[in-house]
Amino acid sequence: MSGTTAGTSVAASGTHQPRASLRSWLLLAPTIAWLVIFVIAPTAILLVYSFCDRDELGSVVYSFTLDNYRRILDPIYARIFWRSIAYAAISTALCVVIGFPVAYCIGRAREAVRQRLLLLLMVPFWTSFLIRTYAWITILKQEGLLNSLIHAFVTTAAPFDLLYTPTAVMIGLVYAYLPFMILPIYGSVEKLDGSLIEAAHDLGAGPLRVFSTVIFPLTSPGIAAGTLLVFVPAIGMFAITDLLGGARVPLIGNVIQNQFMQARDWPFGAALGVVFLALFAVAYVLLQGRATRGGGPA
Amino acid sequence: MSAFPRWSLWLALLVVAFSARAADELNLFGWSEYVPQPVLDGFTKETGIRVNFETYASNEEMLSKLLAGGRHYDLIQPSDYAAEVLIRRKLIAPLDRAKLPNLKNIDPAFRHRPHDPEGRFTVPYMSGTVGIVVNTDKVKDPIVGYRDIFQPKFKDRIVVLNDNREIVSWALDTLGLPVNDVTRENLAKARPVIAQWIQLIKVFDSDSPKTALLNGDVDLGIVWSGEAALLWNEDHKFRYILPAEGAHQFVDVLAIPANAEHPDAAHAFINYILRPEVSVLISKAFPYTNPNLAARNLLTPVQLANPASYPPADGKKLEVFHDIGRAAAEIDRLMTDLKSSK
Repeated sequence: MSGTTAGTSVAASGTHQPRASLRSWLLLAPTIAWLVIFVIAPTAILLVYSFCDRDELGSVVYSFTLDNYRRILDPIYARIFWRSIAYAAISTALCVVIGFPVAYCIGRAREAVRQRLLLLLMVPFWTSFLIRTYAWITILKQEGLLNSLIHAFVTTAAPFDLLYTPTAVMIGLVYAYLPFMILPIYGSVEKLDGSLIEAAHDLGAGPLRVFSTVIFPLTSPGIAAGTLLVFVPAIGMFAITDLLGGARVPLIGNVIQNQFMQARDWPFGAALGVVFLALFAVAYVLLQGRATRGGGPA
Repeated sequence: MSAFPRWSLWLALLVVAFSARAADELNLFGWSEYVPQPVLDGFTKETGIRVNFETYASNEEMLSKLLAGGRHYDLIQPSDYAAEVLIRRKLIAPLDRAKLPNLKNIDPAFRHRPHDPEGRFTVPYMSGTVGIVVNTDKVKDPIVGYRDIFQPKFKDRIVVLNDNREIVSWALDTLGLPVNDVTRENLAKARPVIAQWIQLIKVFDSDSPKTALLNGDVDLGIVWSGEAALLWNEDHKFRYILPAEGAHQFVDVLAIPANAEHPDAAHAFINYILRPEVSVLISKAFPYTNPNLAARNLLTPVQLANPASYPPADGKKLEVFHDIGRAAAEIDRLMTDLKSSK
C-alpha cells in the first residue's frame, strides 16, 4: 500500500523535475540517516559477525569461517525454521479470517461510529504488550477465567488444558497481531466505492460473486499489507512462546535469543539472523509484488 | 590573548564540575529482581552517591555487555562461575579490604569458595540452591530426587528452569557423572535421559517458575531456592527438597570490574550492603540463603525456619558450577534438538 503511494509520487516528481534538487535531498536526509544508522549499519554488523568465530565467552573473534552457515544446514534448524513459518502462516491466516469482517464492518460503519470503533482497536496499545500477554496467562490457566466460565455453565466439564500448549501460543500470536491486519484492510475498505457493489448487484451478481469479483480484488492490497505486517514479526516472536507456550517447543526467535543469552555463540546467532532476514526479503518481494499488482490500475 | 585566561578558567570549572559530579555516582550492573529499591535509596540518602542501576537476566548477558565495553560499570553481581572466568581474565579488580570493615559479618564458609579461594576479588551477596518443590496437596508420593519427579505418571505436571546448563547437570547427576565435565561423551550419555524428561515437562521458566505452581498448572518443580522460599511463604503445602543425587549450590557475588571509574563508591556500596540491618532487607525481599551471619541474627524464627532459604544440612551433595566455556554451545544444540523433536 505504502509502496504504491511512494511509487506514484516518485514517478510524479520524476516527470515534473528531471533531477532531485538540493532541497529534496535535505528533506530526505533524516530518513537516509535513520536508514543508515538503524538498518544498514546493524545489518552490516550482523553480516560480518555471521562469518566470524567466537571465544569461550561467546564474543566475536575476527577470523573468517563458514561454520556458522554450515551449522544452519543441520536438520534441527531447518525443522525449527519450518515450524516457525507454519506458526506464522497459520496465525496470519487466522488474522485474515477474523480481521477481514471486523475491518469491513468498521469501514462501512457511520462516520461517528467508525471513529469510536477505531479508537477501541487502539486501546490495547495503551498498556505494554507483556502485561497483556500475562493477562492471557490469567485467562488460560487451569484455575483461570476461561475454565471457571465454562465450569459455571457446564458443571461437569473437566478443566481445559490450554496454557502452555501450541493452542495458547496461537491465541497469543493472533491476539498480538490482529490489529496490524485490521488496520490496512480497513484502509482499503474505507476507499471501496459503494456504487461498484451496487452496480454488481444490479447486474445480477449474488453476494458470493460480489465478494469474489468486486470486494476482494479491491481490498486485496490491504490484505497483502496486513499479511506482511503480521507474518514477518510473527516468525520472529519469542516472548509469546516462552510465556504462553512454556518454552517447550522452540521457534526460530527463541533459538536466536538463546545464542546470545545462554549459548554464548554470537556468530551463530548472527548467521541465523542473516538467513532469517533473507527469508523476510523473499516474503516481502512476493507479497509486495501482489500488492502493487492489485493496487496498480487505481 | 586576553580571552585565553577566561576561556581556560571556564574549562577548568567545567572539568571540576564534571569530576565532582562523577565522584557522586555508582554504575551498578545487577540481576533484575535481586536488589531491593529501598537498599539503593538508603545508600543514596546516606552518602549522596547516585546509583545508576542497570539490570540483566543472565550471567551470559552480563558478560557480553561487560566485554562489549560500551559503558564502564563500577560494580557487578556475577554468579560464582562467571566471577571465576572474569578473575581468570583479569577483568575484576582486587578489593581493598581496608575499606570493607563489615566483611567480618560474612560467614567464613562463604569467603573461600573455589571461584575466589582467597576472597581477594569478590564479596558474597546471596547464596542458594536448585532443588525440588512439591505441592504436597496433590503429590502424595515420597519425592527425594530427580528420578522420583521424572516419572510417566507426572507427565505435564512439572515445571523446570528454562536453563539448559541446569537441566544437563541434573541428568549428569542422575547418571553419577561430574556436573562440570560437559564433554561430548558425557552429553551423549545424558541425551536419552533428557529426551525422556522433556516428554514429561510442561513448562520451562527461569524468570518466575513459581507462577505455574501457584496457578495450579503443575504440581512439581525444579526451581531456584529463592522461588521455593516465596512459595513456602505463600503456602506451606509447597515443600522444598534438595535432590538426593546432588544439588547445585550457587553464590552470587559483588565484584568491581578492572575498568571501574568509581571504585571508591563501589567499595562504599559493598560495605553498606554488608551491614546487618541493610542485608536483612535483601533477605526479606528475596529469601535466598544470606551469607551475612549478623543479618541472619535479625531474621525472625519463621524466616529462618524456611526450608528453602536455609535447607537442613543432612549430608546432601552440594555442587559448585565451574565455567564451561565453549561447551555452552554444545549444550544449547543438544537441548534445541531434543525440545524441537518432541
